[in-house]
Amino acid sequence: MFEKLQRAFWKALTPDLVAETVAAPTQNELSAEVLSALGGADNLKSQQRVALTRVRVQLEDAGRLDEAGLRASGIAGVMVLPGGVVHLLTGL
Amino acid sequence: MIATQPLELRAPLSGVLLALDKVPDPVFASRMIGDGLCIDPTSQTLCAPLAGVISNIQDTGHAVSITDDNGVQVLMHIGLDTVSLAGKGFTRLVEEGQRVEAGQALIEFDADYVALNARSVLTLMLVVSGEPFTPLANGLVELGQPVLQVAPGNRIEEADEEEGDALFSRPLTLPNANGLHARPAAVLAQAAKAFSASIYLHKQTQSANAKSLVAIMALQTVQGDSVQVSAAGEDAEAAIAALVALLTQGCGEAVTTPTAPEQPVLPATLLRGVCASPGAAFGQVFQVAEPVLNITEQGAGQAVEQAALARSLAAATQALQALQDDAVGSAQAEIFRAHQELLEDPTLLEQAHGLLAEGKSAAFAWNRATAATVELFQGLGNALIAERAADLADVGQRVLKLILGIQDSAWDLPERAILIAEQLTPSQTASLDTRKVLGFVTVGGGATSHVAILARALGLPAICGVSPEVLALANARYVLLDADQGTLQLDPDLAQIEQLETARAQQLLRHQRDMAQAGVPAITRDGHHVEVTANVASLPEVEQSLGLGGEGVGLLRSEFLYLDRNRAPSPDEQAATYTAIARALGTERNLVVRTLDVGGDKPLAYVPMDAENNPFLGLRGIRLCLERPQLLREQFRAILASAGFARLHIMLPMVSLLSELHLARRILQEEAATLGLATLPKLGIMIEVPSAALMADVFAPHVDFFSIGTNDLTQYTLAMDRDHPRLASQADSFHPAVLRLIDTTVKAAHAHGKWVGVCGALASEALAVPVLIGLGVDELSVSVPLIPTIKATVRELDLADCQIIARQVLGLEEAAQVREALRMYQAATVETSPVVEL
Repeated sequence: MFEKLQRAFWKALTPDLVAETVAAPTQNELSAEVLSALGGADNLKSQQRVALTRVRVQLEDAGRLDEAGLRASGIAGVMVLPGGVVHLLTGL
Repeated sequence: MIATQPLELRAPLSGVLLALDKVPDPVFASRMIGDGLCIDPTSQTLCAPLAGVISNIQDTGHAVSITDDNGVQVLMHIGLDTVSLAGKGFTRLVEEGQRVEAGQALIEFDADYVALNARSVLTLMLVVSGEPFTPLANGLVELGQPVLQVAPGNRIEEADEEEGDALFSRPLTLPNANGLHARPAAVLAQAAKAFSASIYLHKQTQSANAKSLVAIMALQTVQGDSVQVSAAGEDAEAAIAALVALLTQGCGEAVTTPTAPEQPVLPATLLRGVCASPGAAFGQVFQVAEPVLNITEQGAGQAVEQAALARSLAAATQALQALQDDAVGSAQAEIFRAHQELLEDPTLLEQAHGLLAEGKSAAFAWNRATAATVELFQGLGNALIAERAADLADVGQRVLKLILGIQDSAWDLPERAILIAEQLTPSQTASLDTRKVLGFVTVGGGATSHVAILARALGLPAICGVSPEVLALANARYVLLDADQGTLQLDPDLAQIEQLETARAQQLLRHQRDMAQAGVPAITRDGHHVEVTANVASLPEVEQSLGLGGEGVGLLRSEFLYLDRNRAPSPDEQAATYTAIARALGTERNLVVRTLDVGGDKPLAYVPMDAENNPFLGLRGIRLCLERPQLLREQFRAILASAGFARLHIMLPMVSLLSELHLARRILQEEAATLGLATLPKLGIMIEVPSAALMADVFAPHVDFFSIGTNDLTQYTLAMDRDHPRLASQADSFHPAVLRLIDTTVKAAHAHGKWVGVCGALASEALAVPVLIGLGVDELSVSVPLIPTIKATVRELDLADCQIIARQVLGLEEAAQVREALRMYQAATVETSPVVEL
């Protein structure tokens, strides 16, 4: 918590030194089936490729997630994390 | 060692299995560490795939290995390149040596944090002991599901204990940013396996079988650790050569050698460091290496081990006492007294006894206790305390050797030895035959390190912070150590050596002449008198300074009077000290007492304060005193007691704001009124912060004098730490920026009829004297032994010339140019000076 605050402060003071990490949800890498299993495009706050094998998505409402539907649409593994964060294991 | 049943390894996590060759990391993919499997996890608690003992768990919590009763060893490594997270995102749930059941939780990790901050979350489970196995699962697996079946009994025998005479490599400094973690350790173990010799890797008192990945990882090495390779067997020599080369190159990891980037133009025959003690010497390399100690963990019964520890502690105390008695009054004696105190440290003893109670051996318990405290010291982020860690390590070794019955053999020094070491400890240097030693070169340490103190006490040149490659120099190689320049020249040519020897002979001659004339006042050839006073920290130093022609005290470092105290000295005691010093000087001489100048960078035992992130920009000097006004009040009262015995001046350190001066003056006035003093002593401030120098015209009406602290003024003006191993050569007080601030200060002071002194190290440099006098500085307060030299230098100068040279150097671009200009001027004056015409 404190670290986050400090970081925010630091960033405010030296905007050029801290890289933006929030990836804008630009090109949609997710198929229509995956999107619908995630509760539709409007349920998607952000998406980001991380850690070589994963797409990290942030959902408005994690309750609308359909895990079986994701597997059916070719996602090998699903990791549901607190705060509406979901890792979709898409492989290398 | 044949197990009756095949062993099933369970999935340590839920997730998706991935073929090992697919893992985007050559070390894991090539099975260099061992064969096994890879999981892309969907759960966040790593559980034991088999029952056994935790044979290693990394401090950073990203890797753990388990060995079962049949010797099957399984390593789990969470994520790729996760060592760089330094433990963040990982929580260890078990400890090394602990027995765990299959399925027991080992490490919790924050998968989201790891995914966002490391290269990958891909987790490896590898059978590092080498048994063949068959896979039992594919695709998606659940935590605890059987995934591998290990065939027992076919594992590769590890090399036995080292036999016969082992060869040792020179000590190496690990370049890897994260020490020998899994990847580099695997590369090393793989290379070691190519040799038939038994090979060990040593770190301080620990050692590891270099063919065992887990053993190497268990050393928990970090960057900068000093390690050694030993080998015994037919191809031992080749093995050492190969592994040393591999370790130096980073074992497959990209490493930057610390000196490479910033000194690309230097020829390889010149190594650079920081001057720790001035002078120069030509001699031959003597590498100082410590013997390797073998420590068994298990004790022979608590009572026996306790007695062994007590005996060794007593013997160490006695030995330290003997060393002190041999070196009464010297810096050495002080150090050994401090060591004795460390031996009595209750927390240290408590820790050791705790381990003894667990059945450990005396050697193991003592080593563990001291090592833990050393680490604690080093982790405090304070250079001074970190250097005391070296002292603790030293005294720790002393006791350890006594426990293990290892005799310290005196080194067989060659003539004209220049000692080279990672770090020299007081114990190592105590028995040193100083007649044979001409200088010191160390990789570690700074200007306050032990070797620096010792070298200055012996009057020998020394440099610190030299690149670790110096440890690879062969013994008996000829080198030219020029500490003034901070360089070590390898294989110098005859001309360089002769030049140095001539310079030394001249210096000696000059010094004798200066000493003989110490009593003559410092008056320039055109009749301008410069007051040369002393920087002192004790009454004996005051007396010594008077003998060397000192004209007063320009800086009494009051914090040093009670440096070794745990409690504040009583007001009476303080008053007695100041009065004694004032009496020694008499009513015709100046005494400038600087109030307590302590802070995060200069801790004082009886003024406890919190550690600061950036002590040099924190509560230092007057800031701390105003924060604790009672301390300042008491000190003022004690100083005022000496009024009338000398020409008393009080000086405030680290003033950066006018309000600080006003506040301190008010407190001083109140204390003087309480004591019924009619006249206040002179009150001045140190100019060591650029704000004070730039505003000197605003400060001047409110002070009686200024004294410029060039060390801090340089550090703050150039934003460079003067003890920084790579910046120190640039953090030079001769920089025109610093000289311009001195110029500003002097002009402002003289416009208001106030005098200016310089009490920083710049005043003690003969080369700087012409520019300081030329800028109008009225007083030079110098370190005691240099009083005769500085006075002699003044007598050789013409004020009018100095003024011209001072104006000229103010317009130069950098410190090196200023030095060059002053050197030329010096050469010109020396030629016409009667001093060297002997």
